[in-house]
Amino acid sequence: MKHLKPINKKAQLVDSAMQSTLSPTDELNEVVAMQTVVGCTGTTDPGWEVDAFGGVAGLCQPMESDLYGCADPCWWPAQVPDIMNTYPDWDKGAGSAGQDWRKLGEVFPGDKK
Amino acid sequence: MKLKNLSIAGLRRGANNHRCISRKLGSYPYVALVMCLLMTTVFVQAEQDRDYMAVVNRPNLFHLLDLEDRRIVRTCELPASVAPGTVVMSPDKSVAYILGGRFDRLYGIAINGCELVFDAQFSQGNVRNKSIASLAVSRDGSELYSIHNPVTIMNDHYQVSSPKFVVYSATDGIDAKPVRSYPAPRQVNILATGHDGQVYLSGPDVYAFDPKTGETSVAIASRNAQREGYGQPDILTVWPLGSVNEEFLRMYSVPKFSQPGAEPELLWGYERVDLVTGETSVKDFGPLEEVLFTGMLRPHHPDEFYGVLTQLKRHRVSTQSVIQGVDLERTYYCINFSTDGSTIYLGGTYNDIAIYDADTLESQGKIVLPGGDMSMSTPQVFSALPTLVGDTEG
Repeated sequence: MKHLKPINKKAQLVDSAMQSTLSPTDELNEVVAMQTVVGCTGTTDPGWEVDAFGGVAGLCQPMESDLYGCADPCWWPAQVPDIMNTYPDWDKGAGSAGQDWRKLGEVFPGDKK
Repeated sequence: MKLKNLSIAGLRRGANNHRCISRKLGSYPYVALVMCLLMTTVFVQAEQDRDYMAVVNRPNLFHLLDLEDRRIVRTCELPASVAPGTVVMSPDKSVAYILGGRFDRLYGIAINGCELVFDAQFSQGNVRNKSIASLAVSRDGSELYSIHNPVTIMNDHYQVSSPKFVVYSATDGIDAKPVRSYPAPRQVNILATGHDGQVYLSGPDVYAFDPKTGETSVAIASRNAQREGYGQPDILTVWPLGSVNEEFLRMYSVPKFSQPGAEPELLWGYERVDLVTGETSVKDFGPLEEVLFTGMLRPHHPDEFYGVLTQLKRHRVSTQSVIQGVDLERTYYCINFSTDGSTIYLGGTYNDIAIYDADTLESQGKIVLPGGDMSMSTPQVFSALPTLVGDTEG
């Protein structure tokens, strides 16, 4: 960090906060990950594009077999709606992802219950 | 032959027949003895327990399967969504408890019919309590355990609170509320209850939790493990499998270094708690060749470890080698075994239970469930008397 210099107000605040940790009486609160994802925004796994080895052989096959298993626990936030909290009816009438995937549409803020 | 769980009525009938024949064939004791043994065997077989599976799928269905005849005994409708579909049986196998309702509702269903005998809604008011596959039952069946992860929904922000270990009384029935709670470690998912009453929690480490006092200790260091030559293990689990083996188990992948700076060897391994004795073990069981989601030790074959995702793989633990592997028709998240260890059942994702021979890994067919996807639900295998589960054809 000693080679980085803040150039805007937010960065200056971060810098001063870091400096304050040098004082034993003025420590920053510990930063911890949230216990559960809220609104499907806390998970940063890459999704269905690539597996742990950089290929595709390790991905679930077919992709539809994995769709609800990833949507239910808010695993991959960017690709499916938040079915756990905000859009619980997204899969209504589409019990089988493999057969009913055409029924799975987009959601919009106005659709929220 | 399995002789446990014989019904009292069956044994009594066998004993009465024994006395009757002895009187008639009193001068031929050996003949009488043989005949009585044969008849007793007939009664024993008639009253023998068998393997069943409890499993849920979309949109709100619970199924009881007879695994020996490979048929659906009954299908029940639950009040709402079954996600995540974590199923745990009561110790007497009469009630299936299901974590559902989009991760914040706990159902109990009497499996000899479809009666809903327990229902608890975790979220109350503006406090959202989700639970990531956290469900266990006390050894006497009187209490249910879960983890609540509270988030208060404010007008302009969410307020995240510390997680709680929550205890319900199984007799509180519908609209049950927690009877007590304790602070819990963060990031906990699956649970299991040991024979000594301790509850084991899967989190950054494996914790032993006393549900009477809230006292927590580390049973297996995982994130905080100090294994010489090893990097940090990586663990994924939301499936409390292992009841067939009386084990609490989760797999890890880990890099192992022969020397600092060397290219690591990538390995699969497992962290395990023996729920009978409380003994813990951490063992590598094979090379990391493919991604696996769940795995189990084969019942009665403690040196064989099986794992599944899009491949089904059989490992020898003592040599850390792959014995056999087959490509599956599609992905299955969950593995389970028959209680005798001869048959593998694969579930999760779509709506069929695939059956494989544990010795040859050859397909033996499927049981197709009515309804939609199992998604991430946990199919549980257990052994019970047909009369207990209301199986008139068993």
